[in-house]
Amino acid sequence: MIPSLRREDLRIIGFNLSKILFIVSIVMLIPIIVAVIYGEFEIIPHFLIGSSISVILGSITHHYWETDKEMELKHALCFAALTWIVSMLVTAIPLWTTGSTNSYLDANFDTMSGFTTSGLTLVPDIDHLSYSINFYRHFLQFFGGIGIIVISLTVLSRSELSSVLTFKGEARDIGIKPNIVRTARVILGIAIAFMVIGSVLFTAAGIIEGANLRTAIFDGVNYSMAAYSTGGFAPHSQNMLFYHSTLYEVIALIIFLIGSFNFSFHYSILSGRRREIFKNIEIKTFFTILLLSTLVISGLLLFSGVYSTPDVLFRKAFFQAASAQTTTGFGTLYPVQISTIWPSTVVFMMAMLMMIGASANSTAGGIKAIRIGVMVKSFVREIKKALSPRSATVETTYHHVEDTPLTETVAKGAMLIAFSYVLLFIVGTTITMLHGYGMSDSMFETASAVGNTGLSSGITSPAMPDTLKVTYIFLMWAGRLEIMAVLVLIGFTILGIRRGFRK
Amino acid sequence: MMKFAVVFMLVLLLAPGLATAETSKELIENARAFDGGQVTLQGEVIGVMMRGNNAWVNVYEGGYAIGVWVRAEDARNISFIGDYSHAGDNVLVTGTFNMADPEHGGDLDIRAENFTITAQGAAILRTPNVIVVAISMILVALAIVSLVWLWRIHKGEEKIAPWPVYWR
Repeated sequence: MIPSLRREDLRIIGFNLSKILFIVSIVMLIPIIVAVIYGEFEIIPHFLIGSSISVILGSITHHYWETDKEMELKHALCFAALTWIVSMLVTAIPLWTTGSTNSYLDANFDTMSGFTTSGLTLVPDIDHLSYSINFYRHFLQFFGGIGIIVISLTVLSRSELSSVLTFKGEARDIGIKPNIVRTARVILGIAIAFMVIGSVLFTAAGIIEGANLRTAIFDGVNYSMAAYSTGGFAPHSQNMLFYHSTLYEVIALIIFLIGSFNFSFHYSILSGRRREIFKNIEIKTFFTILLLSTLVISGLLLFSGVYSTPDVLFRKAFFQAASAQTTTGFGTLYPVQISTIWPSTVVFMMAMLMMIGASANSTAGGIKAIRIGVMVKSFVREIKKALSPRSATVETTYHHVEDTPLTETVAKGAMLIAFSYVLLFIVGTTITMLHGYGMSDSMFETASAVGNTGLSSGITSPAMPDTLKVTYIFLMWAGRLEIMAVLVLIGFTILGIRRGFRK
Repeated sequence: MMKFAVVFMLVLLLAPGLATAETSKELIENARAFDGGQVTLQGEVIGVMMRGNNAWVNVYEGGYAIGVWVRAEDARNISFIGDYSHAGDNVLVTGTFNMADPEHGGDLDIRAENFTITAQGAAILRTPNVIVVAISMILVALAIVSLVWLWRIHKGEEKIAPWPVYWR
């Protein structure tokens, strides 16, 4: 029997959410620097409105729900899930009031897409968007890619226990450093370092490829944030096509591949454990799937007569496959081309890659390569068991930063998450099809939302039905949090409604 | 006969301008049908990248932008590139449409044969909305008051971890 909820439970969650509101209010002030640089003074009040509302709400909740009680697992999971909703609601204000989106719902869609590093967008005219708002969208992706809670922990953490629980609620590993706050800070440090390196590389490439300095710098910073966070937003409606450049795409590929690796893996490599590259189950699984799928996709595109030369196949097949599996969503072709000129088998394979995703505890989404690796290993173990004598014991280990025995619990956990993703995928595809879209497009778009990828078959647009927008917001949110936190929040809400909150 | 010949010559000369321009949406959504054919596109310049004797000009029309491969000298005549604070030059392009140009990495593009600037762009002056400014000032004041109120109540209670240090 699950015990009834108490008002104190609400206070604990609300009090911690107030801190997120303060952090988010600062996030909304940062684009003001860009507005000043580009002389967009008329945009500044919109950021001030969003930031002020966030501060006022944060102050009220902080005061009235103040508590010194530690979080339990249920609070941490509900807090993690609500953090993304609250952040979405307040950060949507500047997008909406500036008229960058057609409605407040569309603004929420874009901020959720930003925070979850999905990259699907409902901004109707990206090419004429103000520089500060455009920067803001990319900055939200970078912020969300690292993890709202990770960033919050680096500056606001008070206790180890609450921190560990919330960290896990946001679907993060805790194994980098013994102290959770230091782990969060390591993640933040790594992300900022790669973002700066990426900005320099993209800017240099932009200048080499003939863009003017102003555009090259602005695009460099934004593409870098979107690439490292495996987000997929771009400052132009043509996405990667704007530059018509192999060099630009190679840099993007490197940055988003790095962004899709596990933060623990980054830390191992940066600590000098280079052999981890060849031993890590997650990296091996990821590259095996990517290379095999690229081969098949290239073959199918070659035989269908769409593309014919190796450099074209690299820019279209390999880049798109990598963009899909790392759940980045950068596109080197127009969304609608995927469904109109690519064979449906390729569309299906791309959807599967988006569902599989890259590394756990990274900026990427999807089921994650480590779970696929663990599931494959546990299948092999079962086959070995069946072939071995009854008295024999079959033990399997896998290497992920350290050698770990493959227990039943680990295997079941991986399968449970994979099953949840598949369930979300089926539900999302069905709902999309009920709105009158074809099966192949619906599967592709749903996989993109659930896997937080951002590639589109053309369904996502400001004209799509509101019910579908809400569905995709839910899918992006649930996919980013690996479902569990969302299910606990739903359970918490139902329990609260049915039994009320005791004093 | 002479009159007919003059009219015929005039039609030939003005043909690119008189031709019905395709929309970007039509071209992208029906790329197979247009592949390898002559197309006309009219729209706003939103990006220019010089590449030696040629240049990429991204032309925006009806929510989509398409890359147009033009001669560098044509691109140099462009005065304004469209963005938030500029209306870009309006251009009329006639050229060969490629669904997946093998010489350009498989990109969908138009290789321009005729590139005409039909209207020069201009800077767009934007002024702050007085009501929005007033609302923002009121909310900022309220936010500051709420923070001061919170700080006075909880002075000395909060203990947060020191600022991030990475070199430990």
